[in-house]
Amino acid sequence: MSAPAISIKGRAFGDRVLLALVILLSIAMIAPVLWVIGLSLKDNAELMADPNSVFRLPYTLRNYFNTIGTSSVFLWVLNSIIVSGGLTLGTLVLSSLAGYGFARLNFPGKNILFVIVLFGLAVPEQAVLVARHQIFSILKFHNTYHGLILPGLSASFGVFLMTQYFKAIPKELDEAAMLDNASRFRTFWKVLLPLTVPAQATLGIFTFLGAWNDYLWPLISATRKDMYTLTVGMASTQTNFAQSEGIGFLMAQAVFAGAPILIVYLFFQKYIVTAVSGAAVR
Amino acid sequence: MTADIEIRNVNKHFGAMSVLEDLSLSIKAREFIVFLGPSGCGKSTLLRMIAGLETVDSGEIAINRERIDHLPPGKRGIAMVFQSYALYPHMTVRDNMAFGLENIGMSREVIDARINEAARILEMPHLLERKPGQLSGGQRQRVAIGRAIVKEPKAFLFDEPLSNLDAALRTRTRLELAQLHQRLQSTMIFVTHDQVEAMTLADRIVVMNNRRIEQIGSPMEIYERPATKFVAGFVGAPAMNFIDATLDRSSGNATARFSDGISVRTAISSDLLADDKYSFGIRSEDVRIVPPGQGNADGVVDVLERLGERTLIYIRLGDGQQIVGSDVGNSRVAVGHKVGLAFDGQKSHLFSAAGRAWHAREA
Repeated sequence: MSAPAISIKGRAFGDRVLLALVILLSIAMIAPVLWVIGLSLKDNAELMADPNSVFRLPYTLRNYFNTIGTSSVFLWVLNSIIVSGGLTLGTLVLSSLAGYGFARLNFPGKNILFVIVLFGLAVPEQAVLVARHQIFSILKFHNTYHGLILPGLSASFGVFLMTQYFKAIPKELDEAAMLDNASRFRTFWKVLLPLTVPAQATLGIFTFLGAWNDYLWPLISATRKDMYTLTVGMASTQTNFAQSEGIGFLMAQAVFAGAPILIVYLFFQKYIVTAVSGAAVR
Repeated sequence: MTADIEIRNVNKHFGAMSVLEDLSLSIKAREFIVFLGPSGCGKSTLLRMIAGLETVDSGEIAINRERIDHLPPGKRGIAMVFQSYALYPHMTVRDNMAFGLENIGMSREVIDARINEAARILEMPHLLERKPGQLSGGQRQRVAIGRAIVKEPKAFLFDEPLSNLDAALRTRTRLELAQLHQRLQSTMIFVTHDQVEAMTLADRIVVMNNRRIEQIGSPMEIYERPATKFVAGFVGAPAMNFIDATLDRSSGNATARFSDGISVRTAISSDLLADDKYSFGIRSEDVRIVPPGQGNADGVVDVLERLGERTLIYIRLGDGQQIVGSDVGNSRVAVGHKVGLAFDGQKSHLFSAAGRAWHAREA
């Protein structure tokens, strides 16, 4: 009779250790965020004199007002939203259509084409960067939204994910729709596509976050300040720290920059957790 | 609405593999036809060809004398219930039933009226706003049937629709399907490998094996007068007993002699039989258990299966062959007992080496 009691006690101890680890990890994650917020609420001159003043009153919102008044951060956020949103939407549309095609249609060369698409997973962006830069230069695509969006649309992972997801949907549903007199497009649109929402959410979240955090291609393609995305804009300000109004101002920009992604996270929390744990793909 | 269905000389291949060979079949209007056969015999393929989900390599399929084998599935005027039900998981029951009607541009009022009528027939008005994931297996099955009913099709096709249900629900749904057929008076084609479903539901059974039709007939015809050894062995539980026999055709009716000297006088005319070697067939209920020495043969009881209303008794004969006999539910026989077997020669069958069957003349 004592064995279960020991086991329960052992489990309770294990749970406590786990809880302590989770708390430690949470502190490690949240501390930089709190640090940023704290710095953004301090006067720049005071921080310059003593960085530890972040722990003392007084706090001020002046950096936020300055950011709103003088910084380009809102333009960069807007650019990032347009680029990330456009890229996400485009990727979802193209990957869904391609995935459906690979999973459900029979056409000559299908398998070879699928291998070619998958091969895209193995090619690093850096390998095609120069060629892409030249092509976009000739086409005058640099410093445009489509110049920032187009490269990301060749989403091998998205096509692969959606193909596998469509394949997992029973073909009887297509057949039932055929017997229900539905056209191929209506079957795709009304029957199959709604069933891929979990995969679309996974793909959409990864694509959006990837595009939001992308630095390399926007750095090359967006050379005009008004076309900077957030990552490039923030980096340009930080590398010109001497000409900025100080660390508090930079941190206020960072808070504004982080807000949209935080909102996205709050809205799609459930899907993000599922996506990260891989449950949506099963 | 109902339909007669004519299948003429239909062939089907998947790559190099032949699935159906020169198959012809006439299904009358309002008939409940069951395609029965083991896995891989081609019965589901035939059903899917009628539905339009598989192409016809050669031959014709006609509904009400109009060729339909070139039409897409949605234009054939038929409805199908799948083994997996194939309900659209993201739609409510109502939307599942409405989808096919919306696709042909039917007005909302007519759609609602049909859905409500089907829900009333199937006693599921309370399920209309639920999604398939919120339904039990039996309820999903009803919805799948409801989705077929609302289309008011010329014919209903069922592809093993009961195989995912538990035993009790299967029995109940079987009965409901029979009642539904009586009520709708539609042509229904039902595919199964379960002979009980076939026997209980069918007006006529089409027994299929190895790409061909073995026999078409009413359930009792199939059971009592199987056309081939395959049908005799496949239909009926337990399977028919088969014993290798040589024939004595010296009198009007043939006498079957087994290897250990046992003989049974059949009611099959000797004139019909040309060869000497046949397989003697008899069903378990035609093998009575009698005291040792009082039947055609004696044997030792191997296994007992008590089914309640009767007891199946597996008896080992002197030459090692096993025969299944039948006794009353509370049979006193026990494993290891020596018993006698009385074969009812009037109900015995003979099968040639090629599998063709001979039976006693019909009374």
